[in-house]
Amino acid sequence: MKRYLIVPLLLLWSLAALAAGTQYVMRVDGLACPYCAYGIEKKLKQIEGVENIDVDLDKGLVTVNVREGVELTEPQMDQLFKDAGFTYRSMTKHTL
Amino acid sequence: MNRTSPGRTIIPAIMLIPVLVWTSQAIGAPITFNTALPVAKGEFVAREQLVVNRSGDDPSSADRDRTEVAAVTALGYGLTGQWALFSVLPYRDIDLDLTSTGQRVTRSNNGFGDLSLFARYTAYQHDQPGRTVRVAPFAGVKAPTGKDDARDSLGILPASVQVGSGSWDYFGGVVLTYQTLQYQFDGQLSYRVNNEAKGFEAGDVARLDGSYQHRLWRSGAQGVPDYLYGVIEVNLIHQDRNRLNGSEDPNSGGTQVFLTPGIQYVTKRWILEGAVQVPIVQNLNGTALENDYIVRAGVRFNF
Repeated sequence: MKRYLIVPLLLLWSLAALAAGTQYVMRVDGLACPYCAYGIEKKLKQIEGVENIDVDLDKGLVTVNVREGVELTEPQMDQLFKDAGFTYRSMTKHTL
Repeated sequence: MNRTSPGRTIIPAIMLIPVLVWTSQAIGAPITFNTALPVAKGEFVAREQLVVNRSGDDPSSADRDRTEVAAVTALGYGLTGQWALFSVLPYRDIDLDLTSTGQRVTRSNNGFGDLSLFARYTAYQHDQPGRTVRVAPFAGVKAPTGKDDARDSLGILPASVQVGSGSWDYFGGVVLTYQTLQYQFDGQLSYRVNNEAKGFEAGDVARLDGSYQHRLWRSGAQGVPDYLYGVIEVNLIHQDRNRLNGSEDPNSGGTQVFLTPGIQYVTKRWILEGAVQVPIVQNLNGTALENDYIVRAGVRFNF
């Protein structure tokens, strides 16, 4: 009986792994007040596939989770933060 | 012309101060003037401020007391990351009590005032983790959208009780902002050219403003917490004498310095703030009306 349960569970787990998204952690300079952070969040939410945004003012980091198949590029982020009035520096990418 | 006459009369120097202040209040941390902080491209910010402006201590026999309550609506729009456009429209309710021909009379008026439009460009920006320095020049125009020929039973109201100036006026300046996670400093230098309308021309206004905001408290939340700031501002304002039918009015213009303590509660979506402008220097010409205080309370929000 256990074997019959384990097989579909493994199958579900592997499907979930295949559908995993990506987390981008970006360093953004010039961010120093809560009121200014909202413009960044609004800009990022306009990107199709963005699922979660977390702005850490103390560390100057913007963390964005995107669903599988969505990719954020350096030129895209450079322009996005420039439009929001801030300076994009770098990003790291992790698979979720 | 006697300033207590029912006809168009000289504007107390002090009444021009809120007008100039309004034109520069749209976003950011200072309460009595502008900031160089950004408005994101394609986004709007709004501000609604209630301003109570009281003047008295009239050295003349008219014993004037002037009270203005205004609701000032400001809207900012980010054209690009560097360019932002602003509009400011006040709704003004004005009462002027004075003694005229031995009787105490009240002259009152209310309505929408003059619309100001201006643009701001971030000319210098240096960003580091958790801090920024910005310098932004700005320039704009005040259109004579407010009614400037209102009357009451005594005749046409004096200029100090009109909600509009009747003139197209121009202003410009530069604002500097240094912001960190712990504190913020803003400084602004500005000049306003007032023009003639119906024989009256208010004196030009030059001003220098400074604002220091210190973070007193933050919420425990990680990420984007709420901040509570203590604010102290200084406003140095000089106005030239007014001109009436080409002649200078000796009882107008002068120099004032205001000290403005205030408080601000800042979140990601909105800001609540309040401040009191207290005059600490009033070196006014002749019998120009002195200011008692200006109280400001407002809210700003992102949408």
